[in-house]
Amino acid sequence: MALYSRPRNTRLLVVSLVMASLLTITVDYRGGERGPLEAAGQGALQAVAALQSGVSKVVQPIGSFLSGIAHIGSLRSENDALKAQIKALEARAGQSISDRRIIKELTRLLKLTEDLQLKGVTGRVVGESVSNFEWSVTINKGSADKVQQNDPVVSGDGLVGHVIEVAPHACRAQLIIDPDSAVAGRLASSGETGLVVGQRSKPLTMDLVNSDAKVVINDQVVTSGYQSGLYPPEIPIGLVSHVFSRPGSLTATIELTPTVDFSALEFVLVVNG
Amino acid sequence: MRRTISWAAVVLTALVLQSTVFAQVKLADAKPDLVYLVTAVLAFLEGPAAGAMAGFFGGMAEDFLLDQPKGITALTLTLVGYTVGTIRQYVVTPSPILPVLVVGATTTAAVLFNQLVTFLLGQLTVGAGYVIKVALLEGVYNAVLTPFLFPVIRRVAESSRPTKVFRW
Repeated sequence: MALYSRPRNTRLLVVSLVMASLLTITVDYRGGERGPLEAAGQGALQAVAALQSGVSKVVQPIGSFLSGIAHIGSLRSENDALKAQIKALEARAGQSISDRRIIKELTRLLKLTEDLQLKGVTGRVVGESVSNFEWSVTINKGSADKVQQNDPVVSGDGLVGHVIEVAPHACRAQLIIDPDSAVAGRLASSGETGLVVGQRSKPLTMDLVNSDAKVVINDQVVTSGYQSGLYPPEIPIGLVSHVFSRPGSLTATIELTPTVDFSALEFVLVVNG
Repeated sequence: MRRTISWAAVVLTALVLQSTVFAQVKLADAKPDLVYLVTAVLAFLEGPAAGAMAGFFGGMAEDFLLDQPKGITALTLTLVGYTVGTIRQYVVTPSPILPVLVVGATTTAAVLFNQLVTFLLGQLTVGAGYVIKVALLEGVYNAVLTPFLFPVIRRVAESSRPTKVFRW
């Protein structure tokens, strides 16, 4: 293209593009959640969710294989248990392994929702975040299924996160392992409360309000569900894995292992109402 | 016109692959980013103007898939396209390793720049150590992917190039 051939034109072009970027950043940053660019973002989410949903059916096994390589140490210990399981599964000829897994997952999810009397819409996780600095998933349910922003998301194992963006037939949920996420939690045994903050793939941390609280390893932490809170009460978040003792500090910090396996999310319940 | 369409097709394909296949390929906390790779390669092949254009539109599209303020990736990739395209004009070595090194180094630098802007806007939620680790890993992953994708992108770029224009 002749237009792009001269250096001066190139410089002008680059300066205009940089200005356009800076303008977009400013408009979006100031506009916040109701900015003019949000509608475009929702359109993009809808389009990508449709693509992700199609592709994830094909490539999920490949992705699982690749991420499996990273966890090879822990996989070895699982190996023996799985071998026994294979024998059991082989006995049930004619029944697809995949179907059985789906039924199992949905049963767990159903049990949790019944125990806690949660109402909502069951969706499937179809994709993950494009970025290395955001921990979110795309779910195939949106405003057409009455999903709203800030709706809690749970799986059969416990709390997953909350909805941050909604399109007509898809939504994006921030996971509780995102460093931006903070959930009000409560120790199941003693009732002590604190804020559970994400630490990426590392265990979650929880700052207890009462620094003298007695904490036992493997104690369960659930959502506290105080009034006007985002999450309903009693949803499992994690198990205490480590207690830091800092004498003289105003708060005590503990580490939690999440009950949900975030690398293998499939069926989730978006809680609304 | 034909070239603009081929570039758009390359960037769009990269974006679709990134949001579907590569969003799930996570090794040691990091995944490759095809839009960064494609911007660097297009700038490398086609010069600073094409690089800046590809970077701006690819980056803006990727921004709409993220939760951070939109425009940061567009800014990063515009500068990536312009810089790589400009530097390329002064490098004459025909070495086949050059694109690999360029893509790797550019990706790492671009991720660091991107997170610096995020930090300046007060939106950075992870520590500096993590940013550096991910930037380095992403650079390595993109570099590893380059030998496979570079010939494909070059073929698309060259097939649409008008024959009467002479370029080095």
